[in-house]
Amino acid sequence: MSTRPHIPQEDLALYAMQALTPEEQHAAQAHLDVCAYCRAALLEAMTDVAAVGMSAEQQALPDGARQRLMARIANTPQATAPAPGPVAVGPVREERKAGGLGWLGWVAALAMLAVAAYLGYGKHQLQQQLSEDRGQIALLTASANRAEELTEALTSPAAKQVTLTETKRPAQPVGHATYLPARGALIFVASNLRPVPENKTYELWLIPANGKAPMPAGLFRPDASGSASVVLPTLPQGIEAKAFGVTIEDAQGSATPTLPIVMAGQ
Amino acid sequence: MPRDLPNPNVEPSRSSYRPTENMNEADDMGLLTRIQTGDQEAMSALFDRYGTMVYSVALRVLKDAGEAEDVMQEIFVQVWKNPGAFVSGKGSLAGWLVVVARNRSIDMIRRRRPTEQVELFALPSSTNLAREAERDSLLGKIRGVMGSLPEEQRKSVELAFFEGLSHSEIAEKTGDPLGTVKTRIRLALTTIRKALTV
Repeated sequence: MSTRPHIPQEDLALYAMQALTPEEQHAAQAHLDVCAYCRAALLEAMTDVAAVGMSAEQQALPDGARQRLMARIANTPQATAPAPGPVAVGPVREERKAGGLGWLGWVAALAMLAVAAYLGYGKHQLQQQLSEDRGQIALLTASANRAEELTEALTSPAAKQVTLTETKRPAQPVGHATYLPARGALIFVASNLRPVPENKTYELWLIPANGKAPMPAGLFRPDASGSASVVLPTLPQGIEAKAFGVTIEDAQGSATPTLPIVMAGQ
Repeated sequence: MPRDLPNPNVEPSRSSYRPTENMNEADDMGLLTRIQTGDQEAMSALFDRYGTMVYSVALRVLKDAGEAEDVMQEIFVQVWKNPGAFVSGKGSLAGWLVVVARNRSIDMIRRRRPTEQVELFALPSSTNLAREAERDSLLGKIRGVMGSLPEEQRKSVELAFFEGLSHSEIAEKTGDPLGTVKTRIRLALTTIRKALTV
């Protein structure tokens, strides 16, 4: 991924607002994982996005909101224990009373400082681990939600099953679209696809039953064996599909289909 | 004095030996450090500083006062539970809170889990928002810039941020090409950035 071009600025802003398609969001995340330049650019984009949020007209808090929050805070334990107080006070006072054995107090103080430093390091390590675990949990949760959606789309009796074939040569490239209109969930799996030039891509289209314009439903390129898939592209819910089609478009995709339609099915 | 307004005569907590006046002007990291020691007064000061901002963003997205308060409470309780996560970063807490408020609200609408990794980035900021006057000045400036944007740019960026629409959903809603939507959002954000860095 690191050899790929950097993420365009406009896509970083959309990523920060989670406004990319799931595929684009995933691809951007994968690139950010390995590209320090784009991570730095994302910080700037996040600041711009936060500024948009700050443009919201300030609204008065509901009556008692502060009191309700503080009551909840008072009954909510913190994840980390409060920091310990100063540890050197005890031994210094002890020195005055102990006379010739005052050095024992300093030894104790140093030992306590060493323990405190060790505990502090341990705490830092735990916080770091906690942060990593949180990220992992978020990924797993997102993954589980996606799997649940996928399962429903595949198994629901309401899912529409469509087989797409190449318009002129039905026997060769084949695509299967599974679409659940109520959830806007679409899974498209194709095989025996012909390769497309580097600067081109296949684009899947949903043709609405209400006669509106075809809706872009995801870009895909076949792998070495000619297989490809589009899983849960961002589609509005409740759109009944009259048909599905596939065109070949420029690599960045298109908002309207470019003829010819190379695969179609209904 | 209404019970929800900050009380300047509150006694300092036992864990704090600083006068309350300093609390009101302490920077965000200072407050978070004190929250980390269990200082509820610092938590209260942080809420007074950003509670309205967080609530306003949540209300703008959710359009429901009860749900907006729920989102606001969850965010501040999260800060109380684990302030160390923010102390370790040198970002803008205000920006972080705004983005989290927006994302939590959108999640509530969509009833799906958030994309947490987006929120984990610290937000850089050279603006000290500890003082109310500076906060008001910045917010007024941002609102002014947003108001001065061309209508289609402002609409596109607001649909993405406050309505949680994806670029393709915005394109469908406005009838504009996808590339145009992207460009408008980029131009809007660039204008905001330029205005805030002048």
